[in-house]
Amino acid sequence: MASAPWPERVPRLLAPRLPSYPPPPPTVGLPSMEQEEAYLELYLDQCAAQDGLAPPRSPLFSPVVPYDMYILNASNPDTAFNSNPEVKETSGDFSSVDLSFLPDEVTQENKDQPVISKHETEENSESQSPQSRLPSPSEQDVGLGLNSSSLSNSHSQLHPGDTDSVQPSPEKPNSDSLSLASITPMTPMTPISECCGIVPQLQNIVSTVNLACKLDLKKIALHAKNAEYNPKRFAAVIMRIREPRTTALIFSSGKMVCTGAKSEEQSRLAARKYARVVQKLGFPARFLDFKIQNMVGSCDVRFPIRLEGLVLTHQQFSSYEPELFPGLIYRMVKPRIVLLIFVSGKVVLTGAKERSEIYEAFENIYPILKGFKKA
Amino acid sequence: MAYQLYRNTALGNSLQVILLQFDKAINSALAQRVRNRVNFRSFLNMYRFCDNLWTFVLNDIEFREVTKFIKVDEAKIVDCDGKNTGSNTTE
Repeated sequence: MASAPWPERVPRLLAPRLPSYPPPPPTVGLPSMEQEEAYLELYLDQCAAQDGLAPPRSPLFSPVVPYDMYILNASNPDTAFNSNPEVKETSGDFSSVDLSFLPDEVTQENKDQPVISKHETEENSESQSPQSRLPSPSEQDVGLGLNSSSLSNSHSQLHPGDTDSVQPSPEKPNSDSLSLASITPMTPMTPISECCGIVPQLQNIVSTVNLACKLDLKKIALHAKNAEYNPKRFAAVIMRIREPRTTALIFSSGKMVCTGAKSEEQSRLAARKYARVVQKLGFPARFLDFKIQNMVGSCDVRFPIRLEGLVLTHQQFSSYEPELFPGLIYRMVKPRIVLLIFVSGKVVLTGAKERSEIYEAFENIYPILKGFKKA
Repeated sequence: MAYQLYRNTALGNSLQVILLQFDKAINSALAQRVRNRVNFRSFLNMYRFCDNLWTFVLNDIEFREVTKFIKVDEAKIVDCDGKNTGSNTTE
């Protein structure tokens, strides 16, 4: 009963929705036709699984996970990111599919799933994540660590399809999320903070990428929108985009620095967008060696701190010159993070290459700060 | 259909000279003799800075002067660098 309508519907979904990102570099194994067939397989698999109403394999497979989880970025980001938006964009299109031929309970789940996938696609591709459906990335990180069972149970009912689509995919990102599921409960990457559950929020991410071709900066500045180029002052084009709100410095060697993003995935997405702009101007831009160089986080311990006491006991790590700068500069050795600690209790953490370093540094400093609480 | 072919004639050449004089005259007049001040507020659609030239494309602008108040849907502002920063606008 279900087989007849599929071939008409699914190809229509997959064909026009080629990714709007730059075409995958030759390093990616599958050509696009085979990729589309793979996604077709995924879709069919997931629907077949839904007919059996199989429970999700792991509660941690909420579909938001592969995108914003920092762990995902670790390996092979190039193929990972390339295939991910394709997967999500195709699955997002299911909202237009008429699923009335499926039995009622599955239809309900399916109706939820494409809406959510679509939300997820929107979240990933640019706009604000709908708070009602999906947790914000920071909440989700906490959720995974602290409330993984409750949060993802509610999600697991809604996303059985997505979990199945995530699982059987041969693509690397999903195997990363598989390993993610097994790793997350064990490693101290989850931001379980000292009792109060204060989680540092990421404020800025600086990343670099190599576009691997010489660029004519004048041509870029003349044709691109929102670009500045003043060679007398600085030998790079300064370009900005609105979503994610970031600024990029593009050099004539083809190297680019992207700043201002609030998460690793956003930084990567923004860098991709800049690369696409450059590519559309006619340069053979690629996306090599994307690397996050610095991450800045901030949080509030909610009590005033005796900085003088702190600098006395931790003088080999701290430097505090109130006449120069009102904050204490604490250079933690492991992880190698610099913290700016203020009397008000606000803490800024910087110098991290990974999100876990920020969390670890805060967990290390929090008991020390509690010891220097004022009054 | 209007060819610029006839610029290289006696008449055309003298008119070209006058055009150059006009350039100088208008630049100095705008710098010295214009004292008005206009404020404006809008949504910035696009900006560009290249060759010391700023180009802005604005949407929904409100130009305010002491005497007048004008609303415009779209405007392009081209800023040239001068001693007293001259600029010109087109709508």
